[in-house]
Amino acid sequence: MIQSEWQEFVNNSNTKLPEDSLHINLPKKITQPGIYDFTSFLEHKELAIALVSIKDSASVIKMVDYEKVMDVLLERTGMGNTGESYLVGEDFRMRTQSRFLEDVSPTDIMVRTEGVRNALNSKSGKGIYKDYRNIDVYGVYSLIELSNLKLTILSEIDKDEVEAPLKSLKRRLLILLLLIMLIAIFLSLFLTKIIADPIIKMKKSLKVMAQGNYDGTDTYSKNSDEIKEMYEALNLLKKSLQGAVDFSKKIGEMNLNTNYSPKSKNDALGNSLIKMRDKLIEFRNSETTQSMRTKRQLLDGLENERRRLSRELHDGIGPLLTSLRIYIENKVEDKALQQEMKKLADETISEVRLMSNALMPSTIDDFGVGVALSNFFDQMRKSTETSIAFEDLLKPEQSRITKDQEINLFRICQELTNNSLKHAMAKNIRVTLSEFDDFISLFYFDDGIGFDLNNVNLGSGIINIKERVELCNGTIEINSKPGNTTFIIELPIENGKN
Amino acid sequence: MEKIRLIIADDHELFRNGLEELLKRHNDIEVVNCVSDGVELIEFINGHQDIDIVLLDITMPNMDGFEALRQLKHVSSQIKPIVISMHDEGNYIAKCAKMGAYGYLLKNTDQEELLKAVRTVRKGKKYFNQNISEKMINFMSEHPVSNAMLSKKEHEVLELISKGLTTKEIAVKLYVSSRTIESHRANILKKLNVKNTAELIKKAVTLKFI
Repeated sequence: MIQSEWQEFVNNSNTKLPEDSLHINLPKKITQPGIYDFTSFLEHKELAIALVSIKDSASVIKMVDYEKVMDVLLERTGMGNTGESYLVGEDFRMRTQSRFLEDVSPTDIMVRTEGVRNALNSKSGKGIYKDYRNIDVYGVYSLIELSNLKLTILSEIDKDEVEAPLKSLKRRLLILLLLIMLIAIFLSLFLTKIIADPIIKMKKSLKVMAQGNYDGTDTYSKNSDEIKEMYEALNLLKKSLQGAVDFSKKIGEMNLNTNYSPKSKNDALGNSLIKMRDKLIEFRNSETTQSMRTKRQLLDGLENERRRLSRELHDGIGPLLTSLRIYIENKVEDKALQQEMKKLADETISEVRLMSNALMPSTIDDFGVGVALSNFFDQMRKSTETSIAFEDLLKPEQSRITKDQEINLFRICQELTNNSLKHAMAKNIRVTLSEFDDFISLFYFDDGIGFDLNNVNLGSGIINIKERVELCNGTIEINSKPGNTTFIIELPIENGKN
Repeated sequence: MEKIRLIIADDHELFRNGLEELLKRHNDIEVVNCVSDGVELIEFINGHQDIDIVLLDITMPNMDGFEALRQLKHVSSQIKPIVISMHDEGNYIAKCAKMGAYGYLLKNTDQEELLKAVRTVRKGKKYFNQNISEKMINFMSEHPVSNAMLSKKEHEVLELISKGLTTKEIAVKLYVSSRTIESHRANILKKLNVKNTAELIKKAVTLKFI
């Protein structure tokens, strides 16, 4: 702007302007044409830029219109509320009206700021520094040097105003950050819950299982395929463990007929449980066999001893007594005495026969159980009013009953008859012993008072009978009510025996 | 009159001797020998066929009375055995009678009866006193030897089947188990070679079983 004024001024050098038309007290004569700062010479101390040209050794001076300069400087578009542009002279005094100190003459304001100092040192630039009001400003400064004119121009705006949007932005960013963080935290908590909940539940479930309880029947919401699959796998594991547990429970109860199919070839638990079951079965079988063998041996021993005693009585004592009897007949002359002694001997012989038969009749060995029972019941009839009927339907020839079965059936009939006569007060006893190709059946009936099967206080009678049946691998069925008690005993006929 | 030649077979020496002493008192009897079991008896008889009577015990070691009776029949038809035993049951008596014994005595028989038996048998007659006979007959009546197609029990079952009784009813009536009746029924069907009850009844009527 000044440049263009100057150009115009030079070109229109004809224009006359009297030196004194201006109220300027020039201290000295200006000898060189140029642009000058005459502010300090003016009384009102307004910015005065003079354009001086020498024409015919007379100086022509033209003053640049202060208002024009101010118009430029007051152009504050984009300068906000605190922005201003101003000029400062070499003497650090302000040349143009301050925006803030309107009542103070600009020349009275000392502007010894960083911007001015830098500009006077020919350094244009920008920066944050304190202005004449001692307030932080953002400033842009530059030196105007046109011929003899040396001014600094500064455009400044308060740091506060410049930074105000930044601050608010900062605040907003901060709020936004906080908001995002909060959302992120909530979101992560939520996600954690979604993902972790089923896992925690699964963990609990596994913990419960680890304590050995496989009964948990929790159902869970399944959020994702992976977790769903994990649950399915867990359920599968639970199910298989449950199966194994049930199986082992049954084994524990010695319910060894339970079946269990291992989940796979590698089902170590299942396989070892099956192995355990098989071992237990083996063990139980061998134990049963052992106990049966022991019982059988005991019973065999008992029966053999009875047989031996019976034979001893019958074939040892008996003949001795008969010998004695003959001796009496041979030696005792006195007929009356002889008779008396023979009678005594006969009675003793009868007693020996009874004892022998009670222990074990030799008929059972020589004729079989059918005949032995016939004789036994004949004997019983002599001492009771009770009607006893016995039918021997064993095969008369080639009977396949074993000696053990015969002895046991004989003992069972002895025991049952004894019970019927002694405890049940039966009036009728019916016994049938039948033999078929594959089994022997003993049917025993009496019309006595009966007994309570669950409250057997008949001594060891029934127990002995059951034991004997068991030893023969047979079955026994007992029904008892007053007036009708039946025992159905069936013994198998084993091939290849006897 | 010739003396009755007699052998005593018993494993008890005391009894043998007592018996021998008792018999020796009687002039019509000669105790030829005393043996202690069946084996000795058979051996002796093989060399002495002129024996009339053997007084034979049943219970003896090595060879018992039953086996001795059986073998005696083959060795000699003249020798008449009399069983003298401790056993007083009908089954023993019946078996001995069946196997060819001429008499049966209990060991505690009076000597009068013993002599009577020996003398009776000597004449070729059998001697079973009333008591012994009764026991034998009782036993034989209880254990009939039947060659009939159906046993007595099977006849009973058949009759009840023909009357329309169920297996259970028959079982109750005959004092046997239901399974026994089923088995009897199966056996009857098999014996009469029929397949079902209708055929069975038809055939039973034809055979005049019912």
